[in-house]
Amino acid sequence: MNISIRQLFGRKPKSSSIAKQRLKLVITQDRFDVDDRVMTRLHHELAEVLAKYFEFSANSVKMDLKQEGNSYILVADFPYTKFHETNMRQ
Amino acid sequence: MGKVIVVTSGKGGVGKTTSTANLGTALALLDKTVAVVDADVGLRNLDIVMGLESRIVYTSMDVIEKQCELSKALVRDRRVDGLMLLAASQKNNKDDIQPEQMKAICDKLRTTHDFVLIDSPAGIERGFSNASAGADEAIVVTTPDVSAIRDADRIIGLLQNARIEPINLVINRFSPQLVGNGSMMDQADVLDILNIDLIGVVPEDSAVITSTNRGIPLVYEDGSPGAQAYMRIARRLTGQRIPIHSFEQKGLLNNIVNWFTRKR
Repeated sequence: MNISIRQLFGRKPKSSSIAKQRLKLVITQDRFDVDDRVMTRLHHELAEVLAKYFEFSANSVKMDLKQEGNSYILVADFPYTKFHETNMRQ
Repeated sequence: MGKVIVVTSGKGGVGKTTSTANLGTALALLDKTVAVVDADVGLRNLDIVMGLESRIVYTSMDVIEKQCELSKALVRDRRVDGLMLLAASQKNNKDDIQPEQMKAICDKLRTTHDFVLIDSPAGIERGFSNASAGADEAIVVTTPDVSAIRDADRIIGLLQNARIEPINLVINRFSPQLVGNGSMMDQADVLDILNIDLIGVVPEDSAVITSTNRGIPLVYEDGSPGAQAYMRIARRLTGQRIPIHSFEQKGLLNNIVNWFTRKR
């Protein structure tokens, strides 16, 4: 037991709680960090599906991952110019 | 039909091979037929940890290259009934084996054994894909430190993608004393982060080192805390319901000791 008086009365957080807190942050990042190639593919696939219903120009589309607290949000903006009404009746 | 379980971790040195050796032996002691398979091609160790290194003649590579029959490559552990080891080739490397070839071996072994335990190499590359190719279930071994837990999370993600389930967690080298004084994360902390089912906690036990030195898996000599922990996990694998053992030190004296030894 090699500890000093200051350590005995110090009120620093336990190192185990620091470990847990740091791990939670880094693991959330690990889990949600999406590969650029995967994002590009998702972009194309989403555009393909949406093109059945909407008209939009490909270079107006924006996709992003945003962090809010401990979770990540996928935000996709597809500004469209027209809705293909005929598809609704199929 | 037997179950194929891959024992994996991501990080090296957390106790995959020790766990595979002890769980395999423990299951055999519980009268199950067991095949333990070393999937760490090029860096094999399961044979030496189990004390069978002098009896290896053929390896999984010989079976794949059709140099010998699978049954002939299996080394019987003479200390207990129903335990066999399939060693990995030491002169090849992980890329010499295809996942489908490992799967074929697992599928053959499961017809003759209740349990097939695969000792996975560290890492997330080819060796891991080979080791998990034929698995139904997984045991992820971790220690309560940041690097092992982070790597375990990565491996759990890969296992989930491969639709391997259940994925059960073993927390190895757990130190009740360090948890007591706040220097080590406890089981609840680890589970909160990894979010999978816990199948057992193995306490830090110096008997692990001496048993490895001798090549006699811990569970052969009952009594040490580590051996008891592995026996409990093996019983849970056979479907017995045994509550998770608590290593927490309770009582006034421990609280006083912990207060004086608490670390930051």
